[in-house]
Parts: sequence; structure tokens; C-alpha cells
Amino acid sequence: MDRPAIELNGVTKNYGSVRALRGIDLVVQPRQIFGFLGPNGAGKTTSIRILLDLIRPASGTARVLGFDCQRQSVEVRRRAGYLPGDLRTYDGLRGSAFLDLIDSFRPDKRDPQFRRELLERLELDPTVTIRSLSKGNKQKLGLLQALLHRPDLLILDEPTSGLDPLVQQEVAKLLEEAVGQGATVFFSSHVLPEVERLAHAVAIIREGLIVAVEDIARLKGRSVHVLEVTFAEPPPSDLFALPGVTELRRDGNTVQVQSRDGIDALVKAIARYPVLDLRTQQPGLEEFFLTYYEAPEEQET
Amino acid sequence: MGVQLNVLRKSLRDQRWQIVGFGLALFLMAALIVAIWPSYRNTVASIQLPEAVQAFLGSDLNYSMASGFISAEYFSWIPVLLIIYAVIQGTGAVAGEESSGTIDLLMAQPITRANMVLQKSIAATVGSALIIGFGFLGFAATIPLVDIEISVGDAALASANMLPITLFHFALALWLGSVAPNRATAVAIAVAVATAGYFLNTVAAIVGSVSWLQYASPFYYYGAGLPLVKGLDWARVAALLGPTLLLVAWAMHSFDRRDIIVGGASNVRLRDLLRRVTG
Repeated sequence: MDRPAIELNGVTKNYGSVRALRGIDLVVQPRQIFGFLGPNGAGKTTSIRILLDLIRPASGTARVLGFDCQRQSVEVRRRAGYLPGDLRTYDGLRGSAFLDLIDSFRPDKRDPQFRRELLERLELDPTVTIRSLSKGNKQKLGLLQALLHRPDLLILDEPTSGLDPLVQQEVAKLLEEAVGQGATVFFSSHVLPEVERLAHAVAIIREGLIVAVEDIARLKGRSVHVLEVTFAEPPPSDLFALPGVTELRRDGNTVQVQSRDGIDALVKAIARYPVLDLRTQQPGLEEFFLTYYEAPEEQET
Repeated sequence: MGVQLNVLRKSLRDQRWQIVGFGLALFLMAALIVAIWPSYRNTVASIQLPEAVQAFLGSDLNYSMASGFISAEYFSWIPVLLIIYAVIQGTGAVAGEESSGTIDLLMAQPITRANMVLQKSIAATVGSALIIGFGFLGFAATIPLVDIEISVGDAALASANMLPITLFHFALALWLGSVAPNRATAVAIAVAVATAGYFLNTVAAIVGSVSWLQYASPFYYYGAGLPLVKGLDWARVAALLGPTLLLVAWAMHSFDRRDIIVGGASNVRLRDLLRRVTG
């Protein structure tokens, strides 16, 4: 197995008397999109800035692609594309001049054709002065410079903030493509659906501690499904006496049921009777995550 | 590690209009002072110079002579302009990028912090030399046309002599920017130190009992127009460039050891400040 893209061991960080990180342990395996989810002030940006050696941990070690984030920080940054959460660029420069500047740090990775492709796909005009770009376009430029040199690791702090849904889709595609070419994406977010949509795996951080690390696909399989079925005639009352299934409501021929362990058994039970209508809703990970947000202490293991 | 000059190039590009602006001011001042000398020559002998100005010139320069006149009208105060430039550049290099928040993306690139500071320091040195060079061109363009007792070579030496005092204040501002919580604080302290140094030199020269205080002023080692009559004093140049190099190295060290704070810190506690200073 490859060395991990990111490895944090017991990382702590204090700002004065505020304990921003209280001992972060995290391993991010390569070639995946990894979401870093937590409410504002949980320590997402602090963790990310430690990876890039912009700030130094009080204790613990951080490694990126096998390089120590402090002692080999230049090697880390050579291989990392970074989008700051609070993106500030040289406002007086045109987009193209700014991208030239970013290129000049890695002359061997310069790829004008890829730059053109990115500009086209994100619909960004590089001749405009950064000062006159809208917030969304500035964010696109920030993403573009992170992707520009095809880094092995993309570290994106709140990547889709300020982007419209169409652009978000394009960004999702770009990230998937980067992963397809062997890169790892590590992004932070406080928006649950974003993580659910983009990420393959997720770590949840709260008050400076990792409270859960989960595989998104497994989470989805495990999460709660709700079905609303309308039968041609009233079904038997014990039809939904299945493990993990709860009948929520019965209204004549229409029954609402909830299943915790996938929906296979449930669908097969329903199929034995004539069905007029079937509606399904997946509550998603929201409920799941909210349990961590609301009661972190009980979830710590 | 290959030699990277991209930050140096960007830094020079960013300050090109400053260089042109300050350079033009020096060029015009130099040309004007030389051009008016012939018409002042006959009247200046009778002018009683204010004590402070004469003190700044010292006993080696006489206002009734071209060298003294040019010292008083140009070399005694032009460094003030150069120091304004130096403080802008020095506090901008680290503290400025931090205050504007651009430093996060800059220092996320594969470059060490020391390298970044070094490239910006070289850029400021080049910028200072260019501005001073513009001023020299003002002398070089007018001295051959005017009946004046100083040579283009003298003007070149005295102009070059302004570089150490400029770089000293750049280094001071750079160092302040790497330890002070934000740029505004760094600017305030740098300006206070420069002003104190300027007046210390003058006051110490006038008030004989504290004349030893002159040695504490960078302007004493600068010596205004002295090189016009005595050539470069290498000991004085070294007295300025030594601390300059020390401050740049110290700035690199302090900046390298600490956290980068986007937007600059608003309230740094004394203990943190001391840690920044000591590294």
C-alpha cells in the first residue's frame, strides 16, 4: 500500500489560552476525495495551515506524502496545491499574471494547455484584474491556481464557497479527474451535502478533536431510508414485521415505512402485493452528522 | 535548490512606480541644485546658516562652497525620502503581505521563508540603488554644463554613500515587520526610530556636552555630503552595513520561527512578542 497522503499524529495547537487542536490523529489514504467536516471554529483551517507549515503545532507530527510538514515543508508545498479558506490574492494583478506567478514557483510543471482548459471549463477570463472579479470568480481563480500544476495533493479550505451549482458540478468533475490521475483531494467544509456529494470518505472534527472517520459509501448504505407505498388494496398488517423496519404511518392503502439496514428485504416484501405508487426518500447523512455535532462526547471512542 | 528570482522580479515590478516617482524627485532636485549654484555662489558667502544645518554639515563642509551647498540642499535631507521608501518596502515585505493576507498563498509555494525575505531584500536594494541612480543622473546631466567645483565622480561617491543608510532603515523596518504584530505598528516604530536618529545627530552636534550621542545615530555614520570632500569613509559604511546584515538575518530568523497570521495579529501578548524577537 502507498504511503498515506496525510498523516497527523497527536497534533495540538493553542492560540494563547484557546486550545484550537486537542490532539488530532488522522490518516488520509491516497487517491481519494477526503472531506474534512466540522462546524465553524472546530479547527479545520488550523489543521490545514499546519500541513502547509504556515503555522506550527504545539506538539505532535504532521506528514504529507511521507514528508515532514515542518522539516521538509518545501517538499510538501512543491507537491501540494492549496486553496486558502480566506482567499486573498494580489488584487492589482490580472488573472493571467497571477497564474504566471504561481507557475514561476514550479517551472517544470508549467502546462499552458492545461491552464487554458481549466480557464475554459471554469469560464474565467484571465485578462481581468483580480480586483474587479466577483467573489465567485475570485474563488474560481483560487481553485484554478491550486489545480494548475497537477499536484499530488490538493488541500482545499472550503472550496465551493461562493460558487453557483453549475460551477460546483464542474469543480466536482475536476476533482474526480485529478483523483483519477492519482491525486488526493483533502477539502474542508461545514456544508453537509457538499461532503456527501464530493467525498469518498470523511473525518468529522469538533472542538479540536476528530470525532469520527467514515467511508461515505458505507454510510449511505447504512443510513436510514424512508419509503411511502400505495398498494391496490390494504396490505396485511404484519407485512412490515421485518428486522430493522419500522412502520411509521398507515392511511388506508398507503403505508410509510422506514428501514435502517438497506432496503432489499423491504422491497422484496412489498413486491408480493400489487403496488400503485412508490416514493422513496433518503434522508442523507445529515441526521448522521448532526448526532456528532450535538453530542460529541458520547461519540468519542 | 535552484536559484529562484521570481519573488525578486515580482517585488521590483510591484514597486516600479515608486522607484520612478522617488527617482524622478531625486533627479529633479539634483539637477535644480546644481543649476542654481552659479547664481547663488556670490550671495551664499554672506548667508548665516542656521546652527542646526551647519551642525549637520560638520566642520568639514562650508555652505559658501559648492560641496557644502550641495550637501545642505541635497545630501542632508534626501535620505529622508529614501527612508520613506525603505520603510514602505521593509514593512511591506513580511508585515504588509501578512496584513493584506496575500502571504498565505505566497508561503504555500515551494520556497523557504528565508528565501522569500532574501529575494525581497535584494529587490529593495536594487530599488534603492535605482532611485539613488536617478538622482546621480541629475548631477551627471548638469555638472558638466555648469561652472561648479565638484566633479561627476564626487557626486557619484556621495550618491552611493546614501545606499547604506537607506538599507539600514530597510533592514530595521523589515525586522520590525517580522516581529511586530502588524504593519501599522512596524511603520510607527520605524518612523519613530528614523526621526529620533535624524534629530539626535543634529542635537548632539549642537549641544557639545552630549556630542557623544552622535555615535548612536545612523545619520552620524552617513555623514551627508562628506564624501564630496573626503571620499568614502569605509569604517562608517561598515558601521551601517554591519547592523543592516544583522537585522536582515534576524528578521529571517524571527519570521522563520513563528506562525503566519493572516490579517496580522491584533493583540499579541508580551510573551509572544518576546518569543518573536528572540526567535
